[in-house]
Amino acid sequence: MKLWQAIKMAFKAIASNKMRAFLTMLGIIIGVLSVTVLIAIGQGSTVQITERITALGTNIITVQNRAVRQVRLELKDLESLRGKGAVNCVAPLITSSMTLKAGTNTYTAQVQGTTEGYDIIRGYGIQRGRFITASDVHGRSYVCVVGVTVADELFGQRNVVGEKIRINGMQYSIVGLFEEMGTDVGASQDECVAIPFTNAQRSFRNTAITTFYANAYGEEYVDQAVKTLEAFMLDKTGNEEYYAVTSQTQLLESMAEVSNTLSLMLGGIAAISLLVGGIGIMNIMLVSVSERTREIGIRKAIGARRTDIMMQFIIEAIVLSVFGGLVGILLAWFSCTTIAPRIGVAMVMSSQVAFLALLFSVFIGVLFGSYPAAKASRLLPIDALRYE
Amino acid sequence: MSLIKLTGITKRYRMGDETVFALDHVSMAVEPSEFVAIVGPSGSGKSTLMNIIGCLDAPDEGEYILDGENVSALPDRELAILRNRKIGFVFQHFNLLGKLSAFENVELPLIYQGVRSASRKEMVTEVMEKVGLTARLKHRPNQLSGGQQQRVAIARALVTRPSLILADEPTGNLDSKSGREVMDTFHHLHKMGNTILLITHNNRIAAEAQRMLSIQDGKVTCPEDYLSMEREAERRQTSGTDKEVRGA
Ligand SMILES: Nc1ncnc2c1ncn2[C@@H]1O[C@H](COP(=O)(O)OP(=O)(O)O)[C@@H](O)[C@H]1O
Ligand SMILES: [Mg+2]
Repeated sequence: MKLWQAIKMAFKAIASNKMRAFLTMLGIIIGVLSVTVLIAIGQGSTVQITERITALGTNIITVQNRAVRQVRLELKDLESLRGKGAVNCVAPLITSSMTLKAGTNTYTAQVQGTTEGYDIIRGYGIQRGRFITASDVHGRSYVCVVGVTVADELFGQRNVVGEKIRINGMQYSIVGLFEEMGTDVGASQDECVAIPFTNAQRSFRNTAITTFYANAYGEEYVDQAVKTLEAFMLDKTGNEEYYAVTSQTQLLESMAEVSNTLSLMLGGIAAISLLVGGIGIMNIMLVSVSERTREIGIRKAIGARRTDIMMQFIIEAIVLSVFGGLVGILLAWFSCTTIAPRIGVAMVMSSQVAFLALLFSVFIGVLFGSYPAAKASRLLPIDALRYE
Repeated sequence: MSLIKLTGITKRYRMGDETVFALDHVSMAVEPSEFVAIVGPSGSGKSTLMNIIGCLDAPDEGEYILDGENVSALPDRELAILRNRKIGFVFQHFNLLGKLSAFENVELPLIYQGVRSASRKEMVTEVMEKVGLTARLKHRPNQLSGGQQQRVAIARALVTRPSLILADEPTGNLDSKSGREVMDTFHHLHKMGNTILLITHNNRIAAEAQRMLSIQDGKVTCPEDYLSMEREAERRQTSGTDKEVRGA
């Protein structure tokens, strides 16, 4: 018998008992739907995390000195790093929460002590005025750059370049205003004030550099710059435990890995339901074989071979599972495109996952269809014909 | 050469401690183009014999040669092909597939043979004409009368042009008028050169055959009233048909 005939026969058999076919497929539908949707949710959150991190810029390298007591980093150490290898800008950062005053207004903000280049590394734009310069740092100038919220709170307006504010009792001139960032990427620069690093050291009574930032000449040199910085820190501290150099890309990768593992786990759990769906198919197929024993006998009497009967039942199982799989994928696609945005869940459905789920359901069909099919094909024609 | 040659065919069934001989060393032969009837009471082993001749069942002992081929030695796959090409079955209970139309039922053996769709259509149409059911091609079995269903079954048996047509009480489930139609179809087929082996417990129907064998408790014999049967056959012959009458 030709394959095409066997497929037509399977469709006829399925069409002749639609309700049962639907109930059989239901297990596969739910299985494929849950696998696809859960993985889509997992991937959706991966994409979301990645987007957030990428928005912060990927050309950022963070260096931490974990052994402040043993190893001191000086500003001139960092200056020596600038332009070394692939390293472009280098800037230290020390922060402290302080109360700012302007006239009678007060506002508590995060004060950041840093050097020139910090704005470049972090990608902060300056909408008015300028950022801190090298001569501000060396001359210990009392200048500051403020975020928009600081300006709004202290002055009620944003035309603040040239105004004076008091930080920790000292008077600073505002020389620049950061661009507004909004709040959707975590801690925002809108609520911060940047002052020259040398002033901050004095003002915070803290001279140790525990963290500094750097960037590479381009995205593609980040790994190279990381190596340069690691070599520098190893040379400085003499112990790999004493420092950590992390690029944003590494952070991105490890976050994505965690999230991928999570979505695979979710998918794996859902795959169990697909397996249960397969057992459902086997169950129905076994019932169908014993219901159709006489039919099998008749087919054998008029010349069906073992392989013909085997094929008929296996194809029936495969058609059921593929149909169920397709319906499941369709429903999953509907949930991703229509339901997910309405309930505010990030879902990314990949065609690979859909294809794999479909492949898996075919596999289930073959796996769980084989036994009933083999059972049907092994019936002796006379026994099958006599079956009541 | 005989079309069918059985030698010492035995089939036993074990019922508890007792052994029932459904067939007890049966030896017989059927020649090509013969119309043979096998009569016997219920439980005498008619169906068992028929199933063995039709390769649906295997004997416990004995040799069965069909068309020069030793069937007992054939593997499952070859038997299926043999059933498909050489044997046409007509059952008492019709055994049509209820979900298929008359056309599809008749087409089925050809599908298993791998015949292409266009030729299938041609062959089915031709054979349906022969049994006079051209107007019922799309009907399901449950939309047909018993006689019509049996004619569909006969068409299904004929469509592969088998060398042997086996009919197990084909009129057993039919009223006399439908039974008559079916028997007429068999006579027609015989006239066209088909070999027919007909099983029945009805002596009147058996008498219509060219030759009659009787089976009793699994043993095949020539019936005592064979001579009267022969006379009957001669009577039929003089009334128009031109048939050779054979001795057992
Ligand atoms: N599958 C079976 N199991 C046990 N006994 C059987 C089986 N098939 C047939 N028989 C026995 O074999 C004998 C012949 O049966 P069968 O060939 O069906 O008779 P008939 O067709 O002449 O009525 C009967 O006694 C019947 O009980
Ligand atoms: Mg019988």
